[in-house]
Amino acid sequence: MDIFIDKLSKLSRSQRNRNLFYQLLFLILVGFFANYLISKAMQLELTLSHFESRSGFGISHTFLKDYTSNDSRWSAYFTGVINTIRVSLVAIILATLLGTIMGVARLSKNVLFSTIAYLYVELVRNTPLLIQIIFWQIIFLKLPRITEALTFGSTVVVSNRGILLPYAKPNEDVNSNIFVIVLLFITIISFALSYYLNKKEDIDGKKLKIQNYNINGSLAGTFVFLILSVSTYFILQRPFVLDLPSLYQNSKGTYLQSGGFEFTPEFGAILFALVIYTGTFITEIVRGSIQSLSKGQTEAAQSLGLSNYQSMTLIILPQALRSIIPPLTNQFLNLTKNSSLSVVIAYPELFMVSRTIMNNSGRALPVFFLILFTYLSLSLIISLFMNFINRRVTRIGA
Amino acid sequence: MKSKLFFLLLAVMSLTLVLACSSEEVEEVATEVEVAKESKDDHEDHSTLEEVLERGSLKCGVNDNLTGFGVLTSAGSFEGFDIDYCKAVAAAILGDASKVEYVPLTASARFEALGSEEIDLLIRNTTWTASRDRDLGNDFTATTFYDGQGMMVYADSGYKTIEDMAGATICVLQGTTTELNLDDRFKSAGLDYTPLTFETNDPLQAAFEEKRCDGWTTDKSGLASKRAEFPAAAGGPEALVVLAETLSKEPLGPLTRDNDSEFYDVVQWVVFGLIQAEESGITSSNVAAMAADPKDPGMARLLGVPYGDGKVADFSFGVDPTFIQHAIKAVGNYGEIYEKHLTPLGLTREGSLNAMWTNGGLIYAPPFR
Repeated sequence: MDIFIDKLSKLSRSQRNRNLFYQLLFLILVGFFANYLISKAMQLELTLSHFESRSGFGISHTFLKDYTSNDSRWSAYFTGVINTIRVSLVAIILATLLGTIMGVARLSKNVLFSTIAYLYVELVRNTPLLIQIIFWQIIFLKLPRITEALTFGSTVVVSNRGILLPYAKPNEDVNSNIFVIVLLFITIISFALSYYLNKKEDIDGKKLKIQNYNINGSLAGTFVFLILSVSTYFILQRPFVLDLPSLYQNSKGTYLQSGGFEFTPEFGAILFALVIYTGTFITEIVRGSIQSLSKGQTEAAQSLGLSNYQSMTLIILPQALRSIIPPLTNQFLNLTKNSSLSVVIAYPELFMVSRTIMNNSGRALPVFFLILFTYLSLSLIISLFMNFINRRVTRIGA
Repeated sequence: MKSKLFFLLLAVMSLTLVLACSSEEVEEVATEVEVAKESKDDHEDHSTLEEVLERGSLKCGVNDNLTGFGVLTSAGSFEGFDIDYCKAVAAAILGDASKVEYVPLTASARFEALGSEEIDLLIRNTTWTASRDRDLGNDFTATTFYDGQGMMVYADSGYKTIEDMAGATICVLQGTTTELNLDDRFKSAGLDYTPLTFETNDPLQAAFEEKRCDGWTTDKSGLASKRAEFPAAAGGPEALVVLAETLSKEPLGPLTRDNDSEFYDVVQWVVFGLIQAEESGITSSNVAAMAADPKDPGMARLLGVPYGDGKVADFSFGVDPTFIQHAIKAVGNYGEIYEKHLTPLGLTREGSLNAMWTNGGLIYAPPFR
């Protein structure tokens, strides 16, 4: 016994052994805690089987997908997912455009442009997004009421129920899905053609000629695309027809507007807020990346006799792009996650629809896991895509 | 290097052992009887009633934006029908109606707040339904107000019934039974509609004021309260009408957590006590006199005072036998609370479900015996 205690005290004298002991102790405690949490969670019902049942509630914005309250909760959920993707995708594209333009304007020698860009960044970046969303909602609600809606012929209807624009709708007599699939093929073929022609021109080092006419790859691709798509359109007997918006009163006196492409105040508010808010951060990223380039690049471009526009698009931006992409990815992820704030203004995106399902079913935990998993998936897809672009940009630049 | 690896292995093995052992325990308790027993033990460990007594205050989940039921006034205090029930319960348990911590909650966050013990008691115009009782881990105590879902429209719209509203856009709150009833009503009538679902009332009202939606649906009590305070700039209360049709039954009342029977009983009998007080003609002004000289044994039992030379009837609710007396003193009987908060909204009591049972209504308390 004494020998054992003696050994133990000797062991405990070593710093390394004591550290190991504490680490082990900590690990065991963490294990117990994790075990406690897991055992608690096991008592709850964690399946999503209730998603099969009838949803029972309506959704105001459905896009690309028919949904009624008779459909399952999964259907409601995917309607929400599509709404999130829709607003995020459009906002990402517009915010990038706005940010790039403002970032360049910020460095412009024209005092007016640089001041506007400066004020834009400082005013918008320093106010909370949630308040901006509500602000835009109020602005959009100030559009004319439906009883006083503005109509421009039968092409555009403007009211605070939504702005309706002419759009295409499937022709009911013809199967329009075939056209969409064929159109996809035509697009791929045209891109492949222009890529091939441009590559060939690069490799041969001379212009392609057919009977003394110069052939430009991009132009040829566009031409082929137009010819093929227009002829398919007529061969398939007009699978899509023009969908003009209309404003009318039904027999009970309710004003209704329908048809065309609908741009609702809710979608508009969340879109404007996300684009303008995220645009400020992209502006700063673009400005920072341009400024990080050596001044010699601009001077070299000028001494070659390039115009300001040419030196920006051919010399500066392509090089700046390398340091723009990684922080830009961050902003895209933020934007997608911020879209969940639209719950306050009745835009039924993923989070809002899931919350309704959660409330109706009373099973919060599994639905929350599903929400987290969905946002995680969206973020990872964006990251993968941006990493792909990043690799291309860095390789071409090097 | 070798010894490091060995220790790491040892650590991982011991952790696995610990987890394996305890996961066996989990399997053992997984039989239904044991789970039930365990969860009962869980709650016996900390009964909400004991906790409230220990803490010396009652955490009450309320609405802060529904005039008449629960509203945060510009003076910074909470007022309303539901708020008075918070006060009554606090007065009954702690003897002091001011010992309430009000926690304003949204419709969609309220059940989580109750389940996670953020609050002790939820009195936030919450409808009693089977699925909520079954799935959400809470118990409805009693009905304090019989409500029904209604539809508010602009007077100049000409709508008289729901059938007139084909194609209309309807503003509704998210995460409420209202949303589901609305859909049921329009679906069964075969009418198209667009629901515009908001999380809170303020953006909803903003949209309604701009006529973004044709109708606003929620409980009729809520509509009455919103109509009463409709801003004059948007036309005032006269610009709006609440359609006569009632879309659903909406009994509102306080909720406690499941398996919390001591606290549940106290809350339930405070509600019944205030109803009985009205029936017996006890008001906040005469309660002291009545307690000093109760008219009959029933009244003595209600107020927790001896009748004649007899003993005090003790119901063993775990609180002072005079708890109903404190509650009446603090907020008055059912009729007084109703008069004070709901009559000004235009919610007349006569002829409605909320009249006393003696007057043909549904307000009825089981006997105090």
